[in-house]
Amino acid sequence: MIQLIIKRLAIAIPTLIIIIAFVFGLMRVAPGGPFTNERALPPEIEQKINEAYDLDKPLIHQFGIYLSKIAKGDLGPSYKYKDFTVNELILSGFPISLTLGVSAIIISLFLGSLLGIIAAIKRNTIFDYTVMGVSLIGICVPSFVLAPILSLFFGLYLGLLPISGWNGGNIYNLILPVVSLSLPQIAIISRMMRSSTIETLNSNFIRTARAKGMPKRRIITKHVIRSSILPIIDYLAPATAGLMTGSIIIEQIFGLPGIGRYFVVGALQRDYTLVSGVMILYASLLMLLILLSDILRAVLDPRVKIK
Amino acid sequence: MNIKNYSKDDLDNILSIKGNSLYSDAFKRLLKNKASLASLIILLLITLLSIFGPYLLQYDFYETDWNSIYLAPSIENGHYFGTDGNGRDLLVRILYGGRLSLSIGIIATLVSVLIGVTYGTIAGYFGGKLDTIMMRIVEILYAMPYLIFVIILMVIFGRNIYLLFLAIGAVEWLTMARIVRGQTISIKEKEFIEASKSLGQSSFMIIIKHIIPNLAGTIIVYITLMVPSVIILESFLSFLGLGVQEPLTSWGVLISEGSREMETAWWLLIFPGLFMVLTLASLNFIGDGLRDALDPKEY
Amino acid sequence: MEAILNVNNLSVNFDTSQGLFKAVDDISFSIKKGECLGIAGESGSGKTQTFFSITGILSDNGSAIGTADFNDVDLLKLTEKELSNIRGKKIGFIFQDPMTSLTPHMNIGNQLIEVSMVHEKKTKNEALKKAKEVLDIVKLPRIENLLKKYPHELSGGMRQRIMIGISLMCDPLFIIADEPTTALDVTTQKEILKIFNDLKRFKDITIALISHDIGVISEVSDTILIMNEGKIIEKGNCQEVLISPKHEYTKHLLSCVPEWMK
Repeated sequence: MIQLIIKRLAIAIPTLIIIIAFVFGLMRVAPGGPFTNERALPPEIEQKINEAYDLDKPLIHQFGIYLSKIAKGDLGPSYKYKDFTVNELILSGFPISLTLGVSAIIISLFLGSLLGIIAAIKRNTIFDYTVMGVSLIGICVPSFVLAPILSLFFGLYLGLLPISGWNGGNIYNLILPVVSLSLPQIAIISRMMRSSTIETLNSNFIRTARAKGMPKRRIITKHVIRSSILPIIDYLAPATAGLMTGSIIIEQIFGLPGIGRYFVVGALQRDYTLVSGVMILYASLLMLLILLSDILRAVLDPRVKIK
Repeated sequence: MNIKNYSKDDLDNILSIKGNSLYSDAFKRLLKNKASLASLIILLLITLLSIFGPYLLQYDFYETDWNSIYLAPSIENGHYFGTDGNGRDLLVRILYGGRLSLSIGIIATLVSVLIGVTYGTIAGYFGGKLDTIMMRIVEILYAMPYLIFVIILMVIFGRNIYLLFLAIGAVEWLTMARIVRGQTISIKEKEFIEASKSLGQSSFMIIIKHIIPNLAGTIIVYITLMVPSVIILESFLSFLGLGVQEPLTSWGVLISEGSREMETAWWLLIFPGLFMVLTLASLNFIGDGLRDALDPKEY
Repeated sequence: MEAILNVNNLSVNFDTSQGLFKAVDDISFSIKKGECLGIAGESGSGKTQTFFSITGILSDNGSAIGTADFNDVDLLKLTEKELSNIRGKKIGFIFQDPMTSLTPHMNIGNQLIEVSMVHEKKTKNEALKKAKEVLDIVKLPRIENLLKKYPHELSGGMRQRIMIGISLMCDPLFIIADEPTTALDVTTQKEILKIFNDLKRFKDITIALISHDIGVISEVSDTILIMNEGKIIEKGNCQEVLISPKHEYTKHLLSCVPEWMK
């Protein structure tokens, strides 16, 4: 197990460094970017950037400094907001994005898997057709169409739920954003889970379990799920990536001051340091999730341990 | 045994029938699938409307009319889908947006197919260390939040529509490369590849003449599944204001505008959304249908 | 001797996209207590589906009609729940492919003990004691160690012995062995067949041995059924049928057995 973690870290860390180098390189070639000389910045920011990155030193030295700062968790001063560092901006949005993301991922995993398993067991029944039909809609209706429609219906017409704002994390304010964020993932996960469960149900070892006279419930809980859940575990990291990008839109639509919001504002205003800071944060979180899903896989599937 | 003399024409006929039978069979099977057939018709309709529709309608897509702001859909005044806050006809704008969304979908997909197929066949055919390195690169790229990458590219190089084609194509090829590599590996084990190798055929020719034609089915299926994801990607960027810019318009731009104004004019959100969802759903159904048609395995 | 299984007018149909497929066509036979019945035939002859249908493990698109009296209970009239109380307890199974027939994520011990724990409500310790006994019967070494292993860590022959062990957990009256040696090499094949002979002789277990290989069947069976295209072509004492086959198809099957085995 420890070997596995070390092996994965040995891949993850260079990957992160490559991403950082890429971001750094892009900022250098960007017109008016933080590492070029011609630019028109307010003098206070100009001075801060100069101090932060030793712009008079050679390129590789600058990258070294950039990297070591990031390793210490310092993402530098914001390029557009005079009085803030990127860290401060991200920290102010992080709790919101994290609440949103974690609730969405838990809901999608739980509901998606559950619906998929039941649809597979009751395949070709009305339940199955309903779940698959609804999930098809979930796949075909992108979140930026779904979210406004949901808020139009539940917020404006029915007046049941608030359609924007964070309101200190009030549960009612969370419902619409979390639902619009999770629905596409629930759709994808339930389809994956259904087909992998059907595949498992048709496998020889399930025939053995039936031949052993095991009750249905026991076959599902002890023999089927641990095998059929494996594709979902592998999908954990892509799902997170999907939720991250999804949250950028959702935070925009529902007016939530999360990281995604800063990312969009940063992108529109060409706040290079803020955008690259968010990018690095997202990439690190993803690496962490890949590691987590590898560990989970090793726990669930004994065949992994030999490798 | 009865040996018959065939003329060259006969032989050509026989060969061409055999050569096409897989794909023509598949096409027949696709048309038998009701969902796919309906999707095919809807998609064709949307495409034709986007291309020719604007010429048939009485309004221009940039024509502002301050007397008809936020008109609800109606048949009498010819604004079938209503008008927006500048008095522009929504239907015309949706059709123009469709031109852009569909062409981005197709062009960016072709870019990614080109990269993906080249990359995948090379990695799969030559195998060994080259394959390991090439696939490791794909794995690393896979781990990245690629949409965020596209956004950063758009930020740095400006919001240029050609760059948008390229940037989307450049991130969407990964899946294609993976699938093509896997298929190439299984095809190259087949006897007919051995046969052409022993005839002294060069690797390049084997890939062009034997591997890629055998990949065609898979590639077609993934094109139909990739076009919708590219359309979503474009709309996503446009929604955030990072994609297509005024005066051009796409479905993403329209949906974005519509969601901002849905309180006063619901049609601005619902109609562009409907067009987009119909297109995405049709493409998905066609893709699924094609997959079943080309791979007629019994479940 | 009395019959343990009496099958009458059994037909099995599969509902496929190409229409109804008749896998077993109106067959009748019986198995006497303590004997071994060999069922021979090429693949697709319906020999496996015959036994899957009467024990209720057909795939979902299959259905069976007729009667199958096992200890004077018609198996085909039982509910799924009642059947699952008989499977694993009174009827044991061994399948063709040992590589995929065990649950990959469950260790050997748990796959064995769950049989007794579910059917006989034994405690974990009692079940473990029984598990060690059966692994001893199938002649597996280092049993303590083995119980903690996962299927992928074992060879095909070992996995097939585990499968036999699982079928023995509740001391069944009857074992259905579907091509139990087909996926194994010849030496392992011999050892597995010897276990069958022991089970028959010392444990008085009735066995239905399904195989396309007449050589395998002749080593264990007392009586034999020859099946082709869902019908029984010939049945009788194993020795007699093999020495003087009456039916053309049987002769044809026998001609496929290498000379030295005869």
